[in-house]
Amino acid sequence: MSLPVSKQKALYEWKLYFFIIPSLLLVAVFAYWPTLSAIYHSFFRWGGGDNKEFIGLANFSRALQDGVFWGAFLTIAILVVANLFKMIPSIAMAVLIHRLRSERWQYWYRVLVVLPMIVPSLVTLFIWKFFFNPNMGALNSFLDLTGLKSLLIAADKAFGWGGVFLDGIPTAWLGEPALVIPALIIWGFPWLGAVGVLIFLAGLQSIGTEVYEAADLDGVTPFQKFLHIEFPLIMTQVRLMVVLMMIGTLQGYGLQFLLLGEDGGPGGRGMVPGLWMFNRAFFAGEFGYACALGLFLFAFILVLTMINNKFIRVEK
Amino acid sequence: MSAQTQSVGKKSGREFPKHLAIWLILGLELLPFYMMLQISLKDNPTFIANTWLPSLPRDWVWGNFLHAGKLILPFVANSIVVSVSGTVGCLFLALLGAYFFARYRMPFSQILWGLFLLLMLLPGIANIVTLFALLKTMNLLNTLWALIILAISGGQVFCIYVLRNFIEEIPRDLFEAAEMDGASHFAQLLNVVIPMSGPIIGTLAILQFLGSWNDFLMPLIILRDPELFTIGVGLIYLDGEYVKQWGQIMAAFFLASVPLIIIFLFTMKLFVRGLSSGAVKG
Repeated sequence: MSLPVSKQKALYEWKLYFFIIPSLLLVAVFAYWPTLSAIYHSFFRWGGGDNKEFIGLANFSRALQDGVFWGAFLTIAILVVANLFKMIPSIAMAVLIHRLRSERWQYWYRVLVVLPMIVPSLVTLFIWKFFFNPNMGALNSFLDLTGLKSLLIAADKAFGWGGVFLDGIPTAWLGEPALVIPALIIWGFPWLGAVGVLIFLAGLQSIGTEVYEAADLDGVTPFQKFLHIEFPLIMTQVRLMVVLMMIGTLQGYGLQFLLLGEDGGPGGRGMVPGLWMFNRAFFAGEFGYACALGLFLFAFILVLTMINNKFIRVEK
Repeated sequence: MSAQTQSVGKKSGREFPKHLAIWLILGLELLPFYMMLQISLKDNPTFIANTWLPSLPRDWVWGNFLHAGKLILPFVANSIVVSVSGTVGCLFLALLGAYFFARYRMPFSQILWGLFLLLMLLPGIANIVTLFALLKTMNLLNTLWALIILAISGGQVFCIYVLRNFIEEIPRDLFEAAEMDGASHFAQLLNVVIPMSGPIIGTLAILQFLGSWNDFLMPLIILRDPELFTIGVGLIYLDGEYVKQWGQIMAAFFLASVPLIIIFLFTMKLFVRGLSSGAVKG
């Protein structure tokens, strides 16, 4: 802890304040000011320039009735559920690495898990966009090669998906409204999150050898071991990752913007709240309205962050 | 690495399935990377004829890299300028700030600390809209300065938070000894704090650099002139305008990754550690 100082000492050390002034100024101008400005401008019709017109709560009442905005939350709900399942590979990977006996392999697998981070996330997204390409994409050529395509065509006919998958016609993953959300879920397969794996591994570290030995004596199967020994011990980490994932999914829109464009793809099926805010501000020039939309998102994320801080981080 | 040896199975035969499963997942995870590399050396006809396997070395189309280089290297250069100055500036100011909080509890420092902590809680989601207007009034639109300043200010809260805890752990005697020798606070920062916090500074630097390198939404709304594009905007621009020669595009993707690959090779350990601590950032 830093030492409390007497008045004299503080007067003598007054120059120390110069150390904090630059950070303070930056934070005040580029973090506090934009937030306050967003609150202020949400009451205006504003195009981002000097002209603005006070319209009271009109932006908020419009936001409450905005079908696109609230529809986008449905997309978020679907993505959150999907992302829950997408955590499984990371947990499995962490458990697999942890169960290895060789410390050296454990280290090198950690490095390999982190390796994909050397490709900028933007590039990974663009490569997936290319995988989804109807004519040249790897996904379609994989489905043709393995015969999975005919399976999908049969399923389409059987369940009445309405001709999403057709024989002889390349599937337009990002061009077909019904496939937009599946594409948003599939991308990044097998969904290994480097940060997730490392955090789960940190949680597993607390399991001692004797626990495993006792389990071995009882003839416990590997899956039971996971269920009764490993999973309960990483519950804290899992909860942390779930909340972080929810916050990330709720505020992220770069993925949707890059894969689908500012309108959320065909039929706007991939529209998420953040993208709608971005769209209103920078493509429609409705900055005041975008501020109001941003404040709704702000409130939701704030609640999630508080839950995270109150119930999850404390236990760590 | 605090990995301790665990004896899970008794026979080494039990280890093999685990290795196999790990390699299977890793192989799928690295598939995009593999595709990028092998397609970057093909032209379109070769790629259509042979999607999955790399072509023979004598058929490699090195010209892809030549074309891609011409297009993308200016963007990479801009990104390096932004990410390096952003990271250095951010850590320099954060070190000063953290030193202020860690060394003495000065009057008002509790309040100031609260101001910083509050920002860890407040979501910045709506800021992009008003930041744009702010940068417009400051005449910083369409400049790299805007991105550098945003990178510096964006990292302050997290870096100060981490560094403060770290500096407080440094034995007080070291500071007192330096003070006896007449060292100013700045000299103490240079000669006591920095030598002792190499790894943590490195870890934070990697996180800041990665964040800045991967950013594309802010550059997209700030930059207009193609000469100023960072790779984020540059790649979006290529994706939209370029006649699709996939080999050249993949080569461009690879070149955009080179700086990160170089950093990774030299700082593997810090990389691994940085990402574990990265989640705290929320």
